[in-house]
Amino acid sequence: MKTIPTLREKKRYLAFEVMSEKIINRQELVREILNSMISIYGDKGASEINPSLMSFDGKYGILRCEREKRVETRAGMACINNIHGNRVSILVLGISGTIKGATEKFIQQTLVNKPELRKK
Amino acid sequence: MSQFGSKFYDFYTHPDNASLMAEVGKRYGYSGIAVVGHDTNEKTNFPEDFSIYRGVKIQAKPSRIREEIRKYKDSDHILIVEGGEDEINRAAVETEGLDILLHPLEFNNVLAKAASDNSVSIGFNLGLLIWLQGVERVRELKTMRINLKHARKYKLQLILTSAANSIYDMRAPREMVAISSLFGMTEKEAVDAMSAAPLNILRRKSLNFIQEGIEII
Repeated sequence: MKTIPTLREKKRYLAFEVMSEKIINRQELVREILNSMISIYGDKGASEINPSLMSFDGKYGILRCEREKRVETRAGMACINNIHGNRVSILVLGISGTIKGATEKFIQQTLVNKPELRKK
Repeated sequence: MSQFGSKFYDFYTHPDNASLMAEVGKRYGYSGIAVVGHDTNEKTNFPEDFSIYRGVKIQAKPSRIREEIRKYKDSDHILIVEGGEDEINRAAVETEGLDILLHPLEFNNVLAKAASDNSVSIGFNLGLLIWLQGVERVRELKTMRINLKHARKYKLQLILTSAANSIYDMRAPREMVAISSLFGMTEKEAVDAMSAAPLNILRRKSLNFIQEGIEII
């Protein structure tokens, strides 16, 4: 059944870029993001943030989180330093209210501005 | 989020490859970094409008710290002491000319007063929060909370650094702000700690600066 608009969860989409030594896969990234959030905010805090990975192609990705928890999500993402033995750093490109907005405004924009990144 | 229009600096990095670090730093939105323990005189190609400053990390016995600081005092290097036990912190903050006391343990009101008299900034090493986990991270967070409390009371300048060894340890300014919120720093304090405070240190290092309040224009 459809939820009424006032009771719907308010969400934001974070467009991010992963810089890593080797290409990492989706499952490892999901596990690491959850581990990092739980390590910092505990089970209760992580459930409030409610992170879920919408898409990830090995370099760019989109993560959904709660609207009021943007800073916490950023901190959780920034504290990731190692995925499956590869050193990584995650850069949040921008935050948007829709998946379409996040993709068009941040991920495609980055590729247009920095054509040399496409090769990597 | 409009505070992010200013220039950002990371004042404590010790990279193995300074030019790569500068490239990544520029992409992340920094205007300059200070490199410690790396010879930047060699001809490496740094990106345009990105400044590299030289930093000196002073490592000595507590009794020798004063001498070492005086030795570098008149150079344009940025002087950093990695804080630790009480004796080291004490020697560091009581000497005029030091710029940053990084992550002191057991910080107290006496040290904070001395730091305020000699205008020493208190550095927060966010790399520790990124790299450590569990009990160790809890301990570092607790130390940072105490330092922040004293720094607020005595109106000390704050500095946020990543202490990055490689490009994977660097974080963009907005991420640094998010991490610093873990130990209770507000957004404005964190932004100032990466833009206003480093600029103030650079101003005091410039040749035109004679004393607080006196400058050659």
